[in-house]
Amino acid sequence: MSRSSLWLSLIVLALPFTGVAFLLYETVGFDWSELNEAAWRASLAVTLYVTLTSTFLSLVIGTWLARTIYMRRSMWLASFLKWPMFVPHVAAAYLFYLLFSGGFPVYGLIEANERHHLVVILTYVWKEVPFVFLMVVGTYGQLNPGYLDMAKTLQLKPLEQFRVAEWPFLIKPLLDSFWVLVAFISFAYEVPALLGVTYPELLGVLAYERLTTGLFLNAFESYAVALAWTLFIFSGVIASYALTAKRRRRIERGVRR
Amino acid sequence: MRRLKQFGLMLSLIFLAACGTTRAEITPTFEQAAEEAKQSTVNFYMWGGDDGINRYIDEYVAPRLKETYDVELNRVPMDTAEFVRQLSLDKRANREEGTIDLMWINGDNFRNAAEAELLQGDLLDKIPNAALLNEEAQATDAGTPTDGLEVAWGNVQFVMHYDADKVKNPPTTFDELHRWTEENPGRFTYPEVTDFTGNAFVRHLLYAEYGAAAGDGEIPDAFWEKLATWSPTLWKQGSTYPKSLAQLDQLYAAGDVWMTMGFNERRAEAERNDGVFPKGTRALVLEHSIASTHFLAVPFNAKNPNGALVVINELLSPEAQLAKQDATYWGDGTSLDLTKLDAADRDAFLKLDDGVTYPDPERLAERSIPDYGPAVIDAIREEWDRVAK
Repeated sequence: MSRSSLWLSLIVLALPFTGVAFLLYETVGFDWSELNEAAWRASLAVTLYVTLTSTFLSLVIGTWLARTIYMRRSMWLASFLKWPMFVPHVAAAYLFYLLFSGGFPVYGLIEANERHHLVVILTYVWKEVPFVFLMVVGTYGQLNPGYLDMAKTLQLKPLEQFRVAEWPFLIKPLLDSFWVLVAFISFAYEVPALLGVTYPELLGVLAYERLTTGLFLNAFESYAVALAWTLFIFSGVIASYALTAKRRRRIERGVRR
Repeated sequence: MRRLKQFGLMLSLIFLAACGTTRAEITPTFEQAAEEAKQSTVNFYMWGGDDGINRYIDEYVAPRLKETYDVELNRVPMDTAEFVRQLSLDKRANREEGTIDLMWINGDNFRNAAEAELLQGDLLDKIPNAALLNEEAQATDAGTPTDGLEVAWGNVQFVMHYDADKVKNPPTTFDELHRWTEENPGRFTYPEVTDFTGNAFVRHLLYAEYGAAAGDGEIPDAFWEKLATWSPTLWKQGSTYPKSLAQLDQLYAAGDVWMTMGFNERRAEAERNDGVFPKGTRALVLEHSIASTHFLAVPFNAKNPNGALVVINELLSPEAQLAKQDATYWGDGTSLDLTKLDAADRDAFLKLDDGVTYPDPERLAERSIPDYGPAVIDAIREEWDRVAK
């Protein structure tokens, strides 16, 4: 490894920890019971709902697409599928806002700015499916077809074939995608700000609002939420990787041949 | 090892340089300030969300400053709360030389800045044109005394606008407005109360119920219960509200709702003439209207405070105030007292007062009420959630 890349990685690594250190410093002496407020509780609930639904749907659809395209070898379709990835989130939010807030034929079926946040979820699924697809399709590209052939030879049912010959290799990319998506969606601003409702608001929107309006006394609430949420995601990442470490290592060794 | 030493040396030099800077001083007289400010740049931090306002600064004010005083004006668009925060961080870190020379501020942002001692005082006696100011407008900022920490730049009143092609019998009181929303479901809404304008709209309703008596920030439950009865007939059944005035204006421009609102009685004229707002746009003055003044202030750690004074003086000149009030750019009401101007200037201002979307100035003045203090703004912000739920 060259020296410059080592330095660069150290800087990249140091940034999140500096961020957490600053947040810790800002929240010293913060009365955490202030967060036990109806607005924050409602925000947490709706954030979990939107994040988990969007992430789960993106993972399932993205994986399914990657698998189908890999099996059929229709790579031209793959290049089309990447397109939504290159649309900025703000632009996607506007697009869906225009589509679902009036005038357009689909209007009335589902609408922007309603309590179920369906359009928010739809926007995220549309944006993140290509991401999951890209993460997973590479794995399929490297997949040793021998495993699948063997599963077929053993006359396993299709679901069983998937479970033994594909799933173990998918754990790693899916876990990576899961945390990237959860971290991103749960604290994002533009999409829920434009397509969400006034109450309850997603964490990112409510935190930004408390941070920027009125007395800056409320800023500490936002720092505290950002800190708690970051630590929650950190520990989730660490725990999930630790739990799957043994399995993943075994599989990686196997797949490298 | 040697490289590490060099690095350490550089770092300590940077620290020394940072500690060594001292605060820039304001000169005793305006003439000296103008001399000092020559060939300097003034960083003017201001909310940048309105095209007309931005063009007024860039196309009208900046060239005049360059010509008259040889001062470069650099407009920096930023949300007000954002740069007040930045200043308070400067204060905490003892940064004596900041990046902001002049800022546009009012309301609770001013109160916060004043409480945290982020502003330079005694501005008025150093600015010649401050003698022309409307003293009532200059005295308080949304209930907080200004104490020479800021200088009135403009003075506007809260006005609603409606589309006369769709609204045949416009309401004349807030009660009638409530009834109107029931007869025309989905055609009215107001911005969230975190927004400056949305909060002001709720203050008007509060005033309609309780008058000046509600000024202590204790809002009775009955008020919230009544406000909640508005929700079912608002846009989207009140399940969501526009996040900002800009979003409400968009809904109005698209014809989704039939009324919009805002501080500044002349704000709709340019929009209507440009075809953004419907041609039938007219002003609606209900039984009272909050008057609001907005101000200019100089931060405690301005790098170029003398340049800032020069800019303020120029912004308060009758010519600049007249151009500001003209619908071409902004249409913002003057903060000057017209009786203090000479006859020609006064006539020029009075001549401006005809636009299709302007309210009758006398009626508007008659119904003007002072704003509640910050306590009410905060109380509304904290308690309104129950209506939005």
